[in-house]
Amino acid sequence: MNRQSLAVALCAVICTVCQAQDKMVFTPQWTAQAQFAGYYVAKEKGFYKDAGLDVEIVHPSLTQSSLNRIQNNESHATTLPLAQAMEIIDDGVPLVNILQTSMNNAMVIVSRRDKNPLEQTGEKVGIWNAGFSQIAICMSIKDNLGYRWVPFASNINLFISGAIDATLAMSYNEYYQLLQTGIEIEENNVYRFRDHGYNIQEDGVYMTKEYYVKHKDQARRFAEASRKGWEWAVQNQDETLEIVMDYVEREHIATNRVLQKLMLEEVLRLMVDRESKEYEFRLRPDMVEKACQLMYENGMLSRQVTYDEIIDK
Amino acid sequence: MGKKKQKSLSTKISLWIVLFSGLIFLAALGLFFNESRLAVQKEAIKNASLILDNTIQHINTIMTEVTVAAENMDWLVSRHLDDPDSMLVYSRQILKNNPNLNGCSIAFEPYFFKNKGLYFSAYSFNDNGTILTTQEGNDHYQYWSLDWYQLPKLLDRPCWTEPFSDFNPDDICSPEMIISYCKPLKDDEGTFIGTFSVDLSLRWLSQTISAVKPYPNSYSIMIGQGGTFFVHPDSTKLFYQTIFTPSLLEPDTAMISLGHAMQAGEEGVHELEVDGNDSYVFFKPIKDTGWSVGIVCPAKDIFSGYYRLINSIFGIVVVGLLLMLMIFSSIITKQLEPLENLAYQAETIASGQFDEELPESENNDEIGQLNNSFRNMQQSIVRQMEELKMANEQKGRIQGELAVASGIQRSMLPKIFPPFPDRDDIDVFGRLTPAKEVGGDLFDFYIRDEKLFFCIGDVSGKGVPASLVMAVTKAQFRTISAHEASPDRIISRINDAMAEDNESNMFVTLFVGALDLPTGRLHYTNAGHDAPMLIGNTGAGMLPVDSNLPVGVMPGWKFSVQETMIDPDTTIFLYTDGLTEAEDIEHRQFGMSRIKETALELQGKRIFTPLTIIDRMTDEVHAFVGEADQSDDLTMLAVQYTKHNENITYQRSLTLTNDIKRVPRLNTFIDEVCEANGFDMASIMQINLAIEEAVVNVMNYAYPAGTKGDITVEAKSNGKEVSFVISDTGKPFDPTAKAEVDITLSAEDRSIGGLGIHLIRQIMDHVNYERADGHNILTLIKKMTTES
Repeated sequence: MNRQSLAVALCAVICTVCQAQDKMVFTPQWTAQAQFAGYYVAKEKGFYKDAGLDVEIVHPSLTQSSLNRIQNNESHATTLPLAQAMEIIDDGVPLVNILQTSMNNAMVIVSRRDKNPLEQTGEKVGIWNAGFSQIAICMSIKDNLGYRWVPFASNINLFISGAIDATLAMSYNEYYQLLQTGIEIEENNVYRFRDHGYNIQEDGVYMTKEYYVKHKDQARRFAEASRKGWEWAVQNQDETLEIVMDYVEREHIATNRVLQKLMLEEVLRLMVDRESKEYEFRLRPDMVEKACQLMYENGMLSRQVTYDEIIDK
Repeated sequence: MGKKKQKSLSTKISLWIVLFSGLIFLAALGLFFNESRLAVQKEAIKNASLILDNTIQHINTIMTEVTVAAENMDWLVSRHLDDPDSMLVYSRQILKNNPNLNGCSIAFEPYFFKNKGLYFSAYSFNDNGTILTTQEGNDHYQYWSLDWYQLPKLLDRPCWTEPFSDFNPDDICSPEMIISYCKPLKDDEGTFIGTFSVDLSLRWLSQTISAVKPYPNSYSIMIGQGGTFFVHPDSTKLFYQTIFTPSLLEPDTAMISLGHAMQAGEEGVHELEVDGNDSYVFFKPIKDTGWSVGIVCPAKDIFSGYYRLINSIFGIVVVGLLLMLMIFSSIITKQLEPLENLAYQAETIASGQFDEELPESENNDEIGQLNNSFRNMQQSIVRQMEELKMANEQKGRIQGELAVASGIQRSMLPKIFPPFPDRDDIDVFGRLTPAKEVGGDLFDFYIRDEKLFFCIGDVSGKGVPASLVMAVTKAQFRTISAHEASPDRIISRINDAMAEDNESNMFVTLFVGALDLPTGRLHYTNAGHDAPMLIGNTGAGMLPVDSNLPVGVMPGWKFSVQETMIDPDTTIFLYTDGLTEAEDIEHRQFGMSRIKETALELQGKRIFTPLTIIDRMTDEVHAFVGEADQSDDLTMLAVQYTKHNENITYQRSLTLTNDIKRVPRLNTFIDEVCEANGFDMASIMQINLAIEEAVVNVMNYAYPAGTKGDITVEAKSNGKEVSFVISDTGKPFDPTAKAEVDITLSAEDRSIGGLGIHLIRQIMDHVNYERADGHNILTLIKKMTTES
C-alpha cells in the first residue's frame, strides 16, 4: 500500500466515525440549573455518545428563547412544561413529546406571611413574564380568586419589598430562593397546585413535528439516553450535583450549591408518579386531558389538543 | 520509711498552701479577666461602631446626592410629557450634572407615546466619562418586568433597587453591577405612567465598605433586603449566596438571628461563630435602602491584647506557684527534720529495741516537746514491761504448781474402772469433772471385809483451799473407814477432826455408805449432801436421807445412820450440786427434775450400769449447758449391786447354846461340812480353828454373863466356796472393826477383836460382819481351791 492509499483509508475511517455520531443541539427551556441535571449527566457520562449522538447543549438567551431555537431549527429538542407545549401546539407549531420526565406539578403560590393564598382574592400575584403559568391562571379563574397578575423577570425583590402580595414559584426553584432570603414560610402560606386537583405534569422533551418525522430514530435514541441520564442522576446524586455545578459555573448563573442541591432533590421527587411510586418517564393521557379541559374552558386553547397528537401516535 | 512519710507530709502541706493560693489567685484573676474582657469588648464595640458610623455617614452622603439629583430632574420630566425626545436629553443632562452617576433611565408604560410604539425608555450611560444615550426598550429587554421599573410602580413611592446587572442584549448597557434609585412618574391625574431611575455603580459602594478594616483579620459585608451578599471578600458568596443559604441545609440560629436583625434595619453587634471563628459582627443599615453593612471581627483579633495579658499573668502565676511549692516544701522539710529522727527512733523502739537511747531535744517548739514526751513514754514503757515480765513469771510459776496440784488431786481419786473386775456382785463407776485446775468435790470407794465403803462430798468454796480440805476429807475417810464400819461413826470422826480448829470455816457436805455385799444391806449417813437416787427394777426414786449438818460445822454433832436393802441390779446414783446446779447460758439450772427424767428414762429401758448412767447424765447436762462455762465441779458416782441368789448345792446348820462345852459338837459339824465339800485335812483344821475362834468369842462375850443365848452356825456351799454364817442375838459387836492389835488389853481379853480376827482373816478368804434385825451376823467364806 502506498502513502496515498493509506491517507485515503485513514480518511475513510475518520469519516465513518464522524458519520456514526448524529449531530444534534438540545436547548433546555431555562438557564443552567439542576432542573436539567439528567441531560447534563447523559452528555457528561457519554450516554448520548454511546447512543451515537453528538449532542450540544445550548442554553437559551435573552435574545433567543428555546422555542425560537427549535422553530429556527438551531436546536432540535427542548424541554417544555406540558401546558406550555399544548399552548404552542394550539398556536400552530406542531410539537412531539419524545420523553416525559416530570410526573407532578411543581407550581406553588407563596403568600406573604400569615396569609393563605386562597383568601387573597384580587391581590397582586407575581407571574413569570416568560410563561409557564397557564395552570395558575386557570385556577385563579376557576376558583374565583381574580388575582391581579404582575409579570416578573425575577420575583424575589418584588416579594420581599412588599411590592406584590404573593407570587407563583416552582417548588424546586423560586420557593427555595424565597426561603433563602430569610423569610419564614408556614405551610398555610403555600398553595401547592398538585394538592388541589391541578396535578398536571410539567417538563418533557419536545421536538418540532417536522424534525421528529425525519429523525424518529435519533429522537428515540436521544430520549433513551436522556432517560438513562436521569436514572443515573437518581442513583448518584452527589456526583450529579458536581456536574450541575460545572454547568452553572460555566454559564455564570447567580446561584449556589445549596440551592442546586435542594433543586435536584425536588426535581427527582417530582419525577416519581404519585400513584405508582415509580419513575415512569411517560406522559399520562389523563393529565393531558385534564390540562386540555382546563385550558380550553378558560380560552387558552382554541381547540382540543390530544394525547395522541402530542406523542404522535 | 520515715523519710517517705515526712516527705509526703511536707509535700502535702505545701500542695495545700499552693492549692489554696492558686484558688485565691484564680478567683481574683477570674474577676479581673472578666472585668477587663468586658472593658476590652466595650472599647471594641465603641471603636467599631464609630468606624461603621463614619462609613455609613459617607455612603449616605453620596446616596443622598443621587436622590437629590433625581428629585431635581423629576419636575422637568413631568413638564415635558408631550415631548418624548426631550427625555433623552434629560437623561443625558442628569449624568452630565452628576458625574458619580452610572446611568439614568426615563422609562414609560407600553404605548405611552403612541408614535414611539410599544417601548420607550430614554437611557443614558456614563461610559468612563463618555455619555451614551439610547432608547433601550426592545423585545429582548422588556423593561416593564424588571425590578427597577416595577418596584416604584407597585410600591407607589421612590425606592432603591437591590443591586443588579442590567443586561440588554440588543443595546448599550452598564457592564457592571448597579443600584438604582427609582421614582414613579405620574401624569396630572396621578396615574402611573413610567419610572425615572438613576443608577450608581455598586463598585464604589463595595470599595468604600471593603476599605473598612478595624482589625487585621476583620472584613466588611453588605447584605441586601433579601439577605444576598452584595459586599463580601469571598467571591463565591458575593451575589450568589444570602446570609441564610447555609441554614437551608443546617439551621445556624445565631446566623439567622443576625440576618433578621440586619434585614430589619437594626443597628448593633452580635457575637457568633462565622466560618468556624468566634466573631463579633457590628452592623448598621444604610438609610432608605433596606441594606445593611456589617463588620465581621474575629474575637481573637479584638481580644489579642487581652489574651497576651492573660498569658503573661497566667505564666507569672504558674511560675510563682511552682516556686512557692518548692520553697515551702524545702522549709517544711527542714523544720520537720527532728520529727524524722524521732520517727526513725520510734521505729527502732517499735521493732523491740526498747533500750534505744533517745536524745533529749533542746528545742522548745512542739516537735521538741513531742520528742521529750516520747522519751518519757519510752522510759515508762521499759519500767512497765519489767514489772509485767515479773508478774508473768510469777503467774507462770503458780500455774505450774496448780497443774501439779491438779494432777495430784486427780490421782487421789479412783481412776481404774471397772474397779473390781473379778467380782460379779458389784460394779462402780465415778467421774469428777473439775471446773478449775483443782476443786473441792470428792468421791471414793473400796471394799473391806465384803463391804463396799463409798463416799461423795462437796467442799464449800472452790480452788486451792477447797482442794486442800477435799484431800484431807478423803484421807480421813480412808483412814477412819479402815477400822470403822458404821457410816455415822466414820462421819462423826471426820467431823470432829475438821470442826476442831476450823478457823477458815470450811465445811463439807458428805454422804458415806457401807454396802454389805453378801446381803445387799446398805448403811448410810448423810451430812448435808444431796440425796442419792436408786434406780432399779422396781423404779427410780430418791433414797430417803436425814439431812444432818455438813461436816465441819459443829463439833460433836450426832449424825444419824440409816439403812435399807438394795435389790439386786439396783444402782445407787450419787452426785454433787455441780449436776443439779449446772447452768445454761441464761442461768437456768439443770435441776433435780431433769435428773429424775433421765433416771426414769434409763429405768424404763432397764439400763442400770453405772458407766451408762453417768455417761447419759453427762450428755444430758452438756446438752443443757451448751456454750455456757462450767461453774462448779461436776461429780457423779454410781454403785450397782449385782448379787444374785446363788445355786446352793449344800446347806447345813447347827445351833448351839453359849456353852463352851458345845464346842466339840461344832468341830464335828465343821469337819462334816468341810469333808462334804472336799477340803483337805490341813484346810479342815484351819477352818475349824477360825470358826471355833469366832464362835467361842460369841459364847464368851455376846450374852451377859449367866444368861443363856443361842448361837447358830449355818454352812452353805455353791460349789465354789463355802460360807459359814455365825449369828447370835447378843449385844451388837463388830469384830471386823478392830483392825489393829490392841496390846493394852490382856491376852485373853476379846482376842477375837485383836489377834483372833487376825487369825480368822489369815485362814478365811472373806470376813464380813452385819448387824441386822437384832442379830450379830458374822460371815466367813472359804474358797474351794483344793479341787481346782
